[in-house]
Amino acid sequence: MTRPTPRIGHATVVLATVVYGILLIPILMVIATSFTAQPFPTLPKTIDLQWYGELMSDGQIHGTLITSFIVALVSSIIAAAIGIVSAFGFVRYEFPYKQTISTAMLLPLIISPIITGVAILQFTSRVGINTGYPTLILGHSVLVFPYAFLIIRSALSSFDSTLEDASVVMGATPAASFVNVTLPMIAPAVFSAVLVSFLVSFGEFTATQFLVSADATTVPVIIYTMMRTGVTPTITALATVLVVIMTLVGVISEAVN
Amino acid sequence: MFRSVPVVDTFRDRLPATIHVLFGIGFIALFLLLPIALLVINSLNFGGELLENYRIALSDVYLRAIFNSLFIAAVTTPILLLLAFFVSYFIIFQTERTRLMLGLVLLPMWIAYIIRYLGIQLFLYPNGPVVSVFDTNFGLLFSTAGVVLGLVSGFLPFAVLPIYNSLSGVDRDLIDASSVMGATRLSTIRHVMVPLSIPGFVTAGLLVFILSAGAFLAPDILGGPSDLMIANMIERSYSEIFDINLAAALAVIYTGILLTLLVAFNSYLNIGEVLSDV
Repeated sequence: MTRPTPRIGHATVVLATVVYGILLIPILMVIATSFTAQPFPTLPKTIDLQWYGELMSDGQIHGTLITSFIVALVSSIIAAAIGIVSAFGFVRYEFPYKQTISTAMLLPLIISPIITGVAILQFTSRVGINTGYPTLILGHSVLVFPYAFLIIRSALSSFDSTLEDASVVMGATPAASFVNVTLPMIAPAVFSAVLVSFLVSFGEFTATQFLVSADATTVPVIIYTMMRTGVTPTITALATVLVVIMTLVGVISEAVN
Repeated sequence: MFRSVPVVDTFRDRLPATIHVLFGIGFIALFLLLPIALLVINSLNFGGELLENYRIALSDVYLRAIFNSLFIAAVTTPILLLLAFFVSYFIIFQTERTRLMLGLVLLPMWIAYIIRYLGIQLFLYPNGPVVSVFDTNFGLLFSTAGVVLGLVSGFLPFAVLPIYNSLSGVDRDLIDASSVMGATRLSTIRHVMVPLSIPGFVTAGLLVFILSAGAFLAPDILGGPSDLMIANMIERSYSEIFDINLAAALAVIYTGILLTLLVAFNSYLNIGEVLSDV
């Protein structure tokens, strides 16, 4: 039986436009205003790339891009590694309070990042870890962990564990069958987990503002600092660069998983 | 064809289950729960009156910020649930471009909040498109309405995912049955689809309430001076007046409210569902 396509009323069209507008206009505004010829970010009449030229010649911005990249890459790999080990435990074994503990693993996603930021800064200064790279990487590993954990757990739970058993029956050690059978099967999910974690880390501001140091600052923090002194097209150009990077990483993570 | 990687003998026996799980729990416990527990020690004033910081945190501007956080979250949550149900319904039943329309809802999740809130500012600025068309921004910038608008735009994908998953799991035959029996579309939505999507609504509602109440950037970038929320007060106490102990007390109060909600709704909460489609 084929269903007739329902007629769509005018109200639905209007409401859908409003909702998609609320979601997408903010991003489009940032992109559009970066091409303005004016000294403040307005919708451009002609395409002008002068603000991108300004970005290219700003050494401080290059530094923050590199810092953001290193922090996002290292912390997403750490989160994925811990995610693989712990997701394995959650999928393959039963233990008491599983549901509660599993919610606890998601706390960094639920709790306000302002608290995560303050708590980790206080903790690292107590135990003598410096601000900058060490605190940034530690903090971001915690912040992105739930994403890595969820994506890998979901891949592991749909993976047929009898394949592993078959490998063991055929004479492989459990460890060898994990490396040769399980890991290749969940590899796309692990890669996707790293990319999604990378995205979350790359864009995080609220906790990050506490963890940066003078010589290791991330892009969202520099955008915030620049916004304090007035919004300029240089900021929207930098934000557009970020939008492009984030969309690319996001699309790749969708494609592999 | 299939070359196997040699594995060192010491890894022969798989680690016992407890070690796997403890690895994850240990990570969260050591680097999140312990640091938060240490904030509790910070928040207590051992020299004089023990709860001095809590007395300050529960008075004047700070108490107002706590109430404001709960108020803004309580206003934002129903708006988000309504819009999320509408979008999910639209994507499932009213468009043939399901993947594209769902993708456009989820795309903003990849983009940093600070960029999206900056975009809302630019949209509503005096030299932005809204003012040039209507001559006013309808008071949507640097106001409570601005904060709510920002949170709705920021967290809508988080509200859509669980509701979309619930609604797309509703048996199509039940929906057909309802309309065959003469129910109007609205009545089918009200009596069939909404009740069967309750788990999605509960997960979405709880998640966006918690996220909204803890928001920092939306009130900071889009709110006015009287729209400060608890996260802004924590940041100010910490970074501007350097009262770490007061910031800690505020953080403990917020975490207390959050944990109460989590414990109360723990059996409903399935945040895994939220990200299963990402």
